[in-house]
Amino acid sequence: MQKNRMTVKSQKSFSRRAGQSPVPWLAPLFLVLCVFYLIPLVDVIKTSFTDATMTNPAGNGFTMASYVKVFQDEAFGEIMFVTFFFVSFSVIFQFLLGFVIALAVDAAETRRMRGTVLTRTISLVSWAIPGVAIGIIWKIMYAETGSGILNYLLSLLGSKQIAFLSDPSVALLSTSIANVWRGTAQSMILLYAGVKTVDKQLLEAASIDGASSIKKLFHITIPGMKSVIMINVLLNIINTFNTFDMIMPLTGGGPGRSTEVLVLSVYRNIFQQLDLGKGCAVAVILLMINVAFSIGYFILNRGDEA
Amino acid sequence: MTGGKVKRRVSKGLLYLVFVLVIIFFLFPVLWTLSLSFKTVPELYKIPPALLPETLQMENYTYLVEQVHILRGVANSVIITAATIVGTMLIAVPASYAFSRIQFKGSRFLQFLILMFQMISPLVIVIPLYRYFADIGLLNTTIGLIVVYIAISAPFQVWFLKSFFDTIPKELDEAAYIDGCSRLQVVTKILLPTIIPGVFSGVLLVFISSWSQFIVPYILMDTPSKMPLACLLVNLQGKLNQITTHYLAAASILTILPTVVLFLCLQKYIVSALTTGAVKG
Repeated sequence: MQKNRMTVKSQKSFSRRAGQSPVPWLAPLFLVLCVFYLIPLVDVIKTSFTDATMTNPAGNGFTMASYVKVFQDEAFGEIMFVTFFFVSFSVIFQFLLGFVIALAVDAAETRRMRGTVLTRTISLVSWAIPGVAIGIIWKIMYAETGSGILNYLLSLLGSKQIAFLSDPSVALLSTSIANVWRGTAQSMILLYAGVKTVDKQLLEAASIDGASSIKKLFHITIPGMKSVIMINVLLNIINTFNTFDMIMPLTGGGPGRSTEVLVLSVYRNIFQQLDLGKGCAVAVILLMINVAFSIGYFILNRGDEA
Repeated sequence: MTGGKVKRRVSKGLLYLVFVLVIIFFLFPVLWTLSLSFKTVPELYKIPPALLPETLQMENYTYLVEQVHILRGVANSVIITAATIVGTMLIAVPASYAFSRIQFKGSRFLQFLILMFQMISPLVIVIPLYRYFADIGLLNTTIGLIVVYIAISAPFQVWFLKSFFDTIPKELDEAAYIDGCSRLQVVTKILLPTIIPGVFSGVLLVFISSWSQFIVPYILMDTPSKMPLACLLVNLQGKLNQITTHYLAAASILTILPTVVLFLCLQKYIVSALTTGAVKG
């Protein structure tokens, strides 16, 4: 009897402990997040409904004028197109290139080929390079003077010179290619890990049944990696969408507006044109797209757990 | 030769072709920049351009050290990054423990909120912070940068470290409670030592992202002598003119060296860290 009561007591104290308040553990984090995320976010949303400028940051009360300005601005359509092109081109080619490298490295590993580790390592190095340095490295690559290496290589092939960064019709493509160089590593890391989880026995069984490599890829490998592929694509969309560091030193959004993505437009509106209200309105649009992606990611992740 | 042998050779050949193309595409821009960083001005304008510099003269680097005081930028980056790592871990470890072990109402919602913060462009929050900091004198200060860096690094780390806490069986906690350990003792004596590899990987990720951080110092820091390296690099680009590509190349190499060397040395940890959560098994 005595013993029994002891057990009950200790169980009770365990469950009480287990139900202890999470507040002390979370307080420091949420204090920081409140000050540096929540308050600024509310502020940005509030400011977007004013006509504030950098010299008059309070504005003159509630108005929709900033949003009207954004949507009436002829440049807005162009900015959305530039953003859409930059994101879709980057994400498609980051995925395709990352997938090809992941499959090639995996295939080479099963064949115990030399140079596999070297290739895998080199394909990932760009992940560790700061975005601003990538912007400058590609600006050097694209140089349009006599010393520009890409133009020199083109001349060896007998092609005429390309104004990679100063021709508005080419600059966006050049910027997107530099971004593919930057983001492929992230794709490759996830997809490579995904390829490793595909059931090797199933692949072998299919080979014995005479299935071709292409058939195995589309009927076993890709379906087996579905959730990794979706998470990878979503992460790449978010990363590309928020890219600022690489574009700033590469083109600064120019020439004209030819490489001005949404994030750059926020920056230009606020810190160059000093139009705080309009900049915040664009920032709110950016924010809503960010939130939509996070919801997508959260749902995907939960589906993965279940 | 049998058909199978030919097929195997062809597929091996194709794989090597892919390897060579991949190596050229990813390595060449870095090697070209490295080569430029050793070139003199006449070499810079030589047509056709030479693949390799004539000598490994260090004058471009000496110029950066003496005229641009680039080592100060390196020191700034080291200080900011180190402080960010410590601060981030101090707030992210306890929070990730709570999300993994304490059941409470709203836990899931808070986790979603944190995930959302992680996906928001830092530019959005830096806009108002610029004005707040100007008001309270934190603009152009190192401490101002550090606290924002911490706020930006923390959300991802909470998710990341939680995934390590989640891998430890709850029976381990329960056994310790029955032995009379307090909650704090369970965390510090049992759980933390178990997730040290996770914390180590987390530190690596914070290091690389903080070293690369650009948008925050670009807006909140105007004083070149206090700028971290990534920001100084763009500042330098704005000041130099066309004939100074060799300086810019050298500065880029200095900027990427720490993170690239770290990556090459600790590749295994980093790759497994990056796949945590996204891939099961």
